[in-house]
Amino acid sequence: MESHSSSASDTYASSYSNRDPGMNVPVHSQQNLAPLSPYLNFDPVYLPQSQPEFIFPEGASRQRGRFELAFSQIGVSCMAGAAVGGIGGLYNGLRNTTLAGHTGKLRRTQLINSVMKQGSATANTLGVLAVMYSGFGVLLSWGRGSDDELNTLAAATATGVLYKSTAGVKKCGIGGAVGLGLASIYCLWTARDRLQGFQQEYNPAWKR
Amino acid sequence: MEEYAREPCPWRIVDDCGGAFTMGCIGGAVFQSIKGFRNAPSGMNRRLLGSLAAIKQRSPIIAGNFAIWGGMFSTIDCTLVHFRKKEDPWNSIISGAATGGILAARNGLPAMAGSAVIGGVLLALIEGVGILFTRISAEQFKPPNPILEDPSQLGPPPGFHQQPNY
Repeated sequence: MESHSSSASDTYASSYSNRDPGMNVPVHSQQNLAPLSPYLNFDPVYLPQSQPEFIFPEGASRQRGRFELAFSQIGVSCMAGAAVGGIGGLYNGLRNTTLAGHTGKLRRTQLINSVMKQGSATANTLGVLAVMYSGFGVLLSWGRGSDDELNTLAAATATGVLYKSTAGVKKCGIGGAVGLGLASIYCLWTARDRLQGFQQEYNPAWKR
Repeated sequence: MEEYAREPCPWRIVDDCGGAFTMGCIGGAVFQSIKGFRNAPSGMNRRLLGSLAAIKQRSPIIAGNFAIWGGMFSTIDCTLVHFRKKEDPWNSIISGAATGGILAARNGLPAMAGSAVIGGVLLALIEGVGILFTRISAEQFKPPNPILEDPSQLGPPPGFHQQPNY
């Protein structure tokens, strides 16, 4: 046993010695990185330094889709509606109670009623609009397989049409137009960098 | 449940509010359509119109109530997470009870207590079912126990003496 192992170690030591030129490969790519860690054995130039690199699960898209954002959007619009409506209700309540000359407990109850009523009404309206918009957006991006400005425009138009769908053809069209207009403004705002790029490309007078 | 699939805490309030609003909106639309259909005067056209009117009238209100419940629940949940420094089923149960109590605050003390109890029990049920499902799904991934049998109990194999097998 003893002789076996000693002979084996001799064999290994003789064939894989330190003096073998094949074993003298430097472990570190750059000498100044050596005190950091032996695992930094790569050229840091390959690391992108400007943008963060996230690790995504397999099959996941690089950006959150419409469905993941839908609940947040609905919640935001609902809360914003509650806040705006509540402030409006407070203003209306203050004006009405002052005009009516209410004081004390009566005025307080009237104020609370006014705030709750107008706040919930505005919150419900905005929330329903957001639910419709998100639903259409999710359906469109799911059906078309892509998520772009066209989805936003189509979803907003469909939301306007659906929201006013029981109020007659004319109002329905107006609702769709309002939706389309708001969505176009939003798209122009979010895509202004790209549009500027187009302008610089095609307009020779714009060159700097 | 999947704790990492949800938003981190302050944003969870908005997310839960939106989710509850959506749930109330769709669920309320379904229920109100049935109710409006049943309560309308006879005739298919009138029934459909009644169903539509009921949806338009009532489902945003139900959705708003759901949203208030969800937002309040999540707010209290996050407050508890902040102060207790841990996330466990008790947070949900306490915040369910507190939400039920607070939202019935204008109906008097007995109504508050009743609502709080209902909210607490409801959330306890939900959390219990969640824990149960976690247990069941964890059971699937348990490594199987290797079955070790003592071969000496079996005795010699039949035909051992008659035909040596080599």
